[in-house]
Amino acid sequence: MDLKRRDFLKIIGATTVATTLPGCTPKAPKSLIPYIIPHEEIIPGKSVWYASVCRECPAGCGVNIRVREGRATKAEGNPLHPVNHGALCARGQASLQGLYHPDRIQTPLLRTATGGWEPATWEKAEDVVLSHLQETLRQGKGRDVVWISSLQTGSLRALLGEWLASVGSKNLLMYEPFGHEALKKGNERVFGAATVPVYEFAGVDTIYSFGTDFLETWLSPVAFARGFAGERGFGESGRRNTLAYFGPRLSMTAANADAWVDVHPDMLGNLALAFVSVVVGEGLSRLSVAETTRISALVEGFGPEQMSWPTGLTVDRIVELGRAFAKSPSSLAIAGGAVIEGEFGAQTAAAVNLLNYVCGNVGRSIRFEGAESPGTLNTYADMDRLLRQMERNQVPALFLSEVNPVFTIPSSSGIAAALAKVPFIVACTSVMDETASLATLVLPIHTPLESWGDYEPREGVHGVMQPAMQPVFGTKMLGDILLHTGRRLGRAGSFAAPDFHVYVMERWKTIHARCGKGKTFEEFWVESLARGGAWETLPPQQVRLARTLAATDLCGPKDAPPLSGKTFTLLSSPSIAHYDGRGANKPWLQEMPDPITRLVWGSWIELSPDDAVRLGVTNGDRIQVSSPYARCELPAYIKRGLRVGCVAIPIGQGHTSYGRYANGVGVNVTALLDPKPSADGSGGVLWCGTKVELVKLPGKIALASVQEAESEFDREIIQEIPLAALVRGGEAAPVNAPSLYPPQEYLKHHWGMAIDVDKCTGCSACVTACYAENNVPVVGKQEVMNGREMAWIRIDRYYADKAATGAEREPAKAGFIPVLCQQCGAAPCETVCPVYAAYHTDEGLNGQVYNRCIGTRYCANNCPYKVRRFNWFDHDIPEPLNWQLNPDVTVRTKGVMEKCTFCVQRIVEGKNTARMEHRELVDGEIAPACQQACPAQAITFGDLKDPESQVSKLTEEREPRPYHMLEELNTRPAVTYLKRITA
Amino acid sequence: MMTPRLHSVVRFALAAFFGFSVTLVMNGCNRPDTGARQPIAFSHKIHAGDNKIQCQYCHGGVRRGTAAGIPSERLCMGCHQLVAANRPEIIRLRDAFQKNQPIPWMRVNVIGDFVYFNHYPHVAKMIPCQKCHGEIQAMAEVRPAVNLADMAFCVDCHRQHAAPVDCYTCHR
Repeated sequence: MDLKRRDFLKIIGATTVATTLPGCTPKAPKSLIPYIIPHEEIIPGKSVWYASVCRECPAGCGVNIRVREGRATKAEGNPLHPVNHGALCARGQASLQGLYHPDRIQTPLLRTATGGWEPATWEKAEDVVLSHLQETLRQGKGRDVVWISSLQTGSLRALLGEWLASVGSKNLLMYEPFGHEALKKGNERVFGAATVPVYEFAGVDTIYSFGTDFLETWLSPVAFARGFAGERGFGESGRRNTLAYFGPRLSMTAANADAWVDVHPDMLGNLALAFVSVVVGEGLSRLSVAETTRISALVEGFGPEQMSWPTGLTVDRIVELGRAFAKSPSSLAIAGGAVIEGEFGAQTAAAVNLLNYVCGNVGRSIRFEGAESPGTLNTYADMDRLLRQMERNQVPALFLSEVNPVFTIPSSSGIAAALAKVPFIVACTSVMDETASLATLVLPIHTPLESWGDYEPREGVHGVMQPAMQPVFGTKMLGDILLHTGRRLGRAGSFAAPDFHVYVMERWKTIHARCGKGKTFEEFWVESLARGGAWETLPPQQVRLARTLAATDLCGPKDAPPLSGKTFTLLSSPSIAHYDGRGANKPWLQEMPDPITRLVWGSWIELSPDDAVRLGVTNGDRIQVSSPYARCELPAYIKRGLRVGCVAIPIGQGHTSYGRYANGVGVNVTALLDPKPSADGSGGVLWCGTKVELVKLPGKIALASVQEAESEFDREIIQEIPLAALVRGGEAAPVNAPSLYPPQEYLKHHWGMAIDVDKCTGCSACVTACYAENNVPVVGKQEVMNGREMAWIRIDRYYADKAATGAEREPAKAGFIPVLCQQCGAAPCETVCPVYAAYHTDEGLNGQVYNRCIGTRYCANNCPYKVRRFNWFDHDIPEPLNWQLNPDVTVRTKGVMEKCTFCVQRIVEGKNTARMEHRELVDGEIAPACQQACPAQAITFGDLKDPESQVSKLTEEREPRPYHMLEELNTRPAVTYLKRITA
Repeated sequence: MMTPRLHSVVRFALAAFFGFSVTLVMNGCNRPDTGARQPIAFSHKIHAGDNKIQCQYCHGGVRRGTAAGIPSERLCMGCHQLVAANRPEIIRLRDAFQKNQPIPWMRVNVIGDFVYFNHYPHVAKMIPCQKCHGEIQAMAEVRPAVNLADMAFCVDCHRQHAAPVDCYTCHR
């Protein structure tokens, strides 16, 4: 017979294709709908950028929002902004998922008699607000109306004040869970200024952090990471800063330190006083004799000898550290954040202030002019007082905007019961949260990316916010609601501005008078919108040691509490992904691994290895944690680098009504906390120090980890070099070993990347930026546990190989290294692809053609770096979250392999732009999303064929630091790492 | 053993089925639905052919970036306020414009979601529009002139002009 087997297979193949293909790709839209009147700023296929302010935390970084055809698709740092200089953290990147959140509230919601929600029109909602307010005013209770807001400055703060004044109230409470209460109190006691000063890391040689996680969540992490990392690496000066971290837990910031010193949180202030004692005792201070004498008296009894036992440091070590700090040409000591915010937070902050003062840092690395706006926040004690008023039925109406105290303050403060006593609660929020779910009326407001506004992260930095796009839903701007209801109420105050946009502009006329010399207001306003704001320089503000400062303001307990063996000290640690919990509803942040534990989608309790051995606990064991206030169950995570007797639980998970991505994930640690405001005078939340008991329960709770290995197993993935061994222009490194792979010829460009491991802080901003830029899907907890996460760039964390338990234990040390496709010159992935989907481009990229890939996964199996990701599923992205997708990058479907492309869409765009402008590419013009986002500027991308490009210079073979990951495999990567420097 | 006659019947049936399958492939995935008429009977022949209006007058996007763009109604009305203002199709256009209603033009040229075509470099190299869009100035109703789903059409031309044929040129 003539029908050969081969023919038969062909025919069968063709018919199978025919039956399956019609359903294969999503259909293109059938119609093309042009503008009726074209928008002058929109060119189809071209991005427009709008400057605004990131409001994901009080740091207020400047952002540029990329808008394509009217939709915001990417948030990037604004290079002109004086806070973040172009970088943006993971939470800032994820602000887009807040904008497009599928659980956003779309109409006002009114509480029904049965306790449910009823959608209402805006007119009805405003009528309800006004009739209740009028009733309240008739009863003469206008002065008891309360508004709790997230931190606002500028126009919105002024308008909130005016609006409240029009009903006769002054009760505007600006509340943030991380309110820096202890720091403000410490500053008040030592310098007489209850503010949060500006910390300048640039140019500082020696940094001592007293439990302050300034690279993660504290105050202004992007600005600090940039200033800090700018002094790392091996720059032209050959200088490098040193960081010592004193505290009970190896946090991400502590892992960046040259020395992590395990100190009990209550003893941090005493340690600072011991340093002061060394500095003044040895005559190293830069103060007058009279002041030195006074300070010597204040630290009497806190010498290194007395403090050696309580702090656990030897006398020699204290003296050595104190001397090094004082002798450093420029130094900075920081105390703030959850670790110090225990019972003696204000004392710790005050003691560290004193250390800065004696070393002459005040006015240099710490400046009181241009103070940070979180200094204007109310304290937790204010919130607590308000709750007591509510309990006494003294609050007739409560308004909340963008705050979620029911979640963020300790639950045992009785906030839920207190709110139940308030007859009328209006929550202005874009998504439902735990507080809004207790309200009478929910008013859905614009997210900051849809709003006009301004925000002053520190005095003199006036950021301006403009809508990056039309509102996604039928929401309203909070400012517009205030103006409209204020006008309709018809009481004191003019509310003359037709809308909040005009209100903001009116207010900016005063800023114009100060910052816009020689320009008309129109010019100044348009310039400010383009630049992202207006910045003014402020005259220096000198502070002196307060006359009233007494020894009791400085010292906590003289000795650390002994280990009882039964109870543990709870450290609740702010999460870099979720901050105080507000990030938990964003899938990018849920899937962003915690830098140290590498866990996603959940919360856990960290135990020290010694305690774990003692309790017989292994990773994932069910642990019942009980404090006097609550009890909960968490999976155990055994953490190297945690003080024995301490346990740590991340803040931010355990939501109950915060949308589909947050609900039911993890446990809310605030339930366990002591509800009393701190008794140190600061009135802050006791984030640290609640005593808890642990019981191991049978069974396990699943932990989703993206990295099981703690050790590099001697593979030298993170390589180190001592500072002393660094010499420029040494011997050239040996050339590549011979390879069986065909030689590659690069015609015009050879793209390469240098990653400075000494600068990388592990913050994971690059990871989220990559998700946003490259349409990387989020897979969820179960798929992560199956090893199917899709991140194109990850930050691996490796501990130094030292004993984790026992007597010979040394302080744990961890390092971070970003791993992405190494774009190998001799790529193992390319040769195994049967369909030529993985191939080598003539610009040195390991290309991956999705439409050619048939999903054999041979390439991933042959990749030694584990950077290729396979789409096991089509990942559903619910409307309107899919509006964020970058239209320049293919959305990959099931059965396709994908990986980092060095943001090839940006390379193509850069080349096209250069061609349209009839010029050659400029070095640094093309920045992949990871490099663009990096606060530490650890990533440099460019053309290796151009000997003058920055990346060529950094990776020059004569330099001492460049190395390739797994160099022995001779894959010849285009990604070169620069060795971490040890002091 | 199969008889020669039966054999040829089977061959025919299989070939017919194969042909049908190919048609399915073309229709299902790669070819746009061009059966429907445009909502307004716009003629490229009248505009680009008879009246010799430059393509870029309406499709200026080709100079600025990836998308050629469909002209806005305002641009149409720029001429048709006066020109041929009483023709029925123009009256429909004016009605839509006055009512602020967009015109849902039917898509004719479709390329895959994984193909990133950019008009600008082609226009800059003076490739005539007709190379891909056919004798558009002669078309009263636009039909696809070439099979844009056929990568060989792109690659052949790129080879002739020494343009890049790297996959990342179009796929990313």
